[in-house]
Amino acid sequence: MNHVKPYQPKDIAGKLAKTFLRNPLTMVLGIFLLAIGYISLSIMPREENPQMVVSGSTVIVALPGASAAEVEKVIVRPLERKLKEIKGVEHIYGMAMDNVGIVNAAFFIGEKKEDSNLKVYDKIMQNTDMFPKGIMQPIIKPLDIDVDIPIVSVAFFSNNKNMSKTQLYEKVKDIQHTLNGLDNVAVTELKGGNKHQFNIEVDLYKLSGYNLSMGQIVQAVQSLAYNVPAIKNRTKDNEIVMVGVQNAIESADDIGNIIVAEYMGSPIYLNQVAKVQSSYDIQNFKSAQISINNGDTEFTPLQDQVTLTVSKLQGTNAVVIADEIKTQLEELKETLAKDGINYVITRNDGERANEAVNELVFHLVLSIVIIAILLVLVLGWRESLIVTFTVPAILAITLFIAYLTGQTINRITLFAFLLSLGLLVDAAIIVIENIHRHYHSVESAHEDVDDLMIKATDEIGPPTNIATLAIIMTMVPMAFVGQMMGQFMKPIPANVPVALVASLFVAYIFTPYLALRMLKKPDHHNQKKGGH
Amino acid sequence: MFKKFELILLGAIESPMKRRMILLGTLVAFILSVLMIAPTKMVLAKMLPGKNNDTFTIYATLANGSSIQQTKRVTDCIVQHIQKEKEVTDTEVFLGMGAPLDFAGLIKGSHFKNSENVAEIVLNLTKKHDRSEPSYFMVQRMRPAVTQECGSIYPNTVISFVEPPAGPPVLAAIVAEIYGDNAEGIRTLAYRVSEIFKKTEGLVDVDVMEDEIYDTFEIKVNPTKVARSGVSVKQLNDILYLAFEGMDIAVKNSHVYNNQIPIYLSLSQDSKKFTKKDIKAVTMKLTSLKLMNKMGMMTPITELVSIIPKKSNPMIMSKNLHQMTNVVAETDMVSQVYPLMEARDAILNTFSDTYDIEKIGLFDLQLTDKQTGKVYKLVWDGEMKVTLDTFAQLGGAFIAALVLIFLLMVIYYKSYTLSGIILLGSFLSIIGVIVGHWIMNLFTADTFFLTATSLIGFIALIGISSRNSLLLIDFTKSLMDEKGMHKAEAISFAAATRAKPIFLTAAAIILASALLAGDAVFGGLGVALMFGTIAAVIASLVVVPVLLYNADLERHFNFHEKKAVSVNDPL
Repeated sequence: MNHVKPYQPKDIAGKLAKTFLRNPLTMVLGIFLLAIGYISLSIMPREENPQMVVSGSTVIVALPGASAAEVEKVIVRPLERKLKEIKGVEHIYGMAMDNVGIVNAAFFIGEKKEDSNLKVYDKIMQNTDMFPKGIMQPIIKPLDIDVDIPIVSVAFFSNNKNMSKTQLYEKVKDIQHTLNGLDNVAVTELKGGNKHQFNIEVDLYKLSGYNLSMGQIVQAVQSLAYNVPAIKNRTKDNEIVMVGVQNAIESADDIGNIIVAEYMGSPIYLNQVAKVQSSYDIQNFKSAQISINNGDTEFTPLQDQVTLTVSKLQGTNAVVIADEIKTQLEELKETLAKDGINYVITRNDGERANEAVNELVFHLVLSIVIIAILLVLVLGWRESLIVTFTVPAILAITLFIAYLTGQTINRITLFAFLLSLGLLVDAAIIVIENIHRHYHSVESAHEDVDDLMIKATDEIGPPTNIATLAIIMTMVPMAFVGQMMGQFMKPIPANVPVALVASLFVAYIFTPYLALRMLKKPDHHNQKKGGH
Repeated sequence: MFKKFELILLGAIESPMKRRMILLGTLVAFILSVLMIAPTKMVLAKMLPGKNNDTFTIYATLANGSSIQQTKRVTDCIVQHIQKEKEVTDTEVFLGMGAPLDFAGLIKGSHFKNSENVAEIVLNLTKKHDRSEPSYFMVQRMRPAVTQECGSIYPNTVISFVEPPAGPPVLAAIVAEIYGDNAEGIRTLAYRVSEIFKKTEGLVDVDVMEDEIYDTFEIKVNPTKVARSGVSVKQLNDILYLAFEGMDIAVKNSHVYNNQIPIYLSLSQDSKKFTKKDIKAVTMKLTSLKLMNKMGMMTPITELVSIIPKKSNPMIMSKNLHQMTNVVAETDMVSQVYPLMEARDAILNTFSDTYDIEKIGLFDLQLTDKQTGKVYKLVWDGEMKVTLDTFAQLGGAFIAALVLIFLLMVIYYKSYTLSGIILLGSFLSIIGVIVGHWIMNLFTADTFFLTATSLIGFIALIGISSRNSLLLIDFTKSLMDEKGMHKAEAISFAAATRAKPIFLTAAAIILASALLAGDAVFGGLGVALMFGTIAAVIASLVVVPVLLYNADLERHFNFHEKKAVSVNDPL
């Protein structure tokens, strides 16, 4: 058959098919594609929701003693006007309260975070002269979704009745330090719990009884509670001798024994007018409690707890960090149990992201299997196998490109894959169907197999190209949808076109390659005319 | 099977009667499906439906000026309700502050919460796969009991249930921004609007974002007396603060504790409490508090000041430099569009007693006070606004997609008619999308909304169905060109031959999207793709061939000589 002039492909489809049909590297390319796809899947950061670029800054200015109306006039309004000058600001919210004014500048979705923060900071610093006298240093708090929203929160509580309120806090504070040392952990914070503190609770009636003022007590305590560095001196032989002054206050008793005044010649001790205790911060009105369900509706009664929250750095893998925290806590569990401290992980976004991603990956695989079964029924198992192979190859390319462009694996990315799944098998189905048709047709029984493959691929090239282009065209405008929803949906217009282009290449390269090696040419003499 | 289809199609194309019937039928189906959305509300629109979560948060906000003990009473009551729930694994109460920040809290300002009248309660539920009741049903079930019982302990308590949003977070489902230039008028109007919201069916967790005004006392310093007694106003302030609020007056370093240990001074709890909330009790207490001047003379504070009762200053809010107040409400498992329209109608009907109402923009209102002549504006924001914006933008994206495809086809075929047919064929998939949502709505327990993702599915469908038509036309062209078939024969043969890959790819899409249909957020996309594809297949195999037959194909294909040889070779 070699004397027959080989088929000359006209379209890129046929050309690709021809180039790779007998190339020994085609197989290597296939394996390579699958490998990079698998690597991307395992190392890409996983999240539940896609990252949104939301930037904004809050400026807080305190003016003690001013009423809400005054704050509005002298702080909020000038500040609003200044922030209005910044390009990219969508909304400005002002809040004027007694003693403090808060102005929040929200940028358009998609404005760069660092730039926006800098703009606000610049604007405030350049215009510090607009603030009235008597304000406290303005606080500029930029919004940072990654750092602000914790991915893991753990509630610690103690079953030990003897443990004081502050001991739990101190223990958790130690754990906080340990966890903060883990890789890619950004911020750790504590909520609830009480700090250690010496309390001097003065009895008002005794105070007036002894004819004392609060100011006297303040002075007396401050004069004793003073920390100084040690004094350095030398001996005659030039040896250094350090002399330290001990802090006069070591315990609550020391404070209680402070003499606050003398009355009729006899000293008045602080503990005569006040109750002095080494205890917790009684002025702190914030607290946190927990109740746990031990099965059915057997809840433990509400008890005090300290919640430790951990957030991660941008673009890092929540799943890995959450797991590390979990193992770290597991290690500490026994030491904690000795003190009667238990913990419950009350939020685990890493696990949640992983579950969401795994569930969708499972759906993806399930869809591929269902489509494969469908193809087995209609086209035959060899053809089905070929199409089924192209799917992971296409997804691998798409994943790899997503990885290169700094995307993460999240719900929306996987939905983009699920959406494109229905579309991306098309190219391969059309190619294999055409090959199948030609293969089984009587007319082409005498043709060279290589030529037949190339011809079949080449034939459907132009309409398939243009049709795929049409679908890509539908996705392009979606990239320009703005606001939060646009940001949220971004993985769809970002990934579906890539998957579609990849589907064309894979269909043109691998379908004929595999068809050549896997399909059996039917024997037309024994078969009924018409095939399917 | 495909042979039979070819014959039926051929018959249909060649009979003018049947051709007309097919086109008419398509038109009727199209009009009916459009009617399903707009006037009949058989298919409801919403941006994103609820999502089944493993956690949600309850915010309790008491009237401003409430104490932490009062707040705790309310949270204890809520916790009692929570403790009856089997599916709750644990619950955390955060008094006086926000819970660890989440997506919803970020927009709702949870991280700024720092006062005695607020609390947040986090509920963690069992994994959604092991739980029969979705979280949004649980919220719906718990809400009436909790708000009724715990919300009524103290007046003006607002308890709201906050679920993690399925998509981008918003302040609330419905936000009415009330603009004006005097605080009092805004306040009155805001509370009137909130009353309407409370009466509107489907709206819950209504809140006016205004501070409640409560009684306070102000200490007025007598300058002459202060100067004469040799003390200063600063000293007076410090002592008052020290006595009732308390202050860290010194610190002690420690190697045992993680912080410096503050030494805190204040009056004792028992001795500093006022007996009652009135001016007498306040004066009584202040009499016992004395100031010492430089000479060591003691003067009771009450000698230097007078105490006057007054009202608290509520917070003044502004947005984009205009003074305003938000009235917010959540929707209870319904789309926010319809309660909003209902509330708007109620405002239009009942507010005319004191205001002249004028419609501005799409839904916004301008209200002019009949007596004072002051002008207020009611602007809708929140999820509603985002929904409208998103739908409008997706609509724009859709039109842009249509134009792009049309241009692409014109470049490929160099014929406006053929490109028009392809576009028309793909547009018909909307019938499937709408009918699909209606069918799904019949089969699901809650409302199945037409969402933003449905629109995305529809946009993708345009591409898919234009591919079907394209392959069909291309094949028809090559049949007429290379094999010299008749128009009708070529079209029906092409349709029959292409039917197999079209069915196959359609089946692939339907199967792939069937799994999507179960998802809360992307259900709309799944359903749009499934039913839209079915419609697209019918459109490209029946309607497009008829349209093609009506067109002068020979001219559009740029054939120079007409070939008319009968064909009897089926393969």
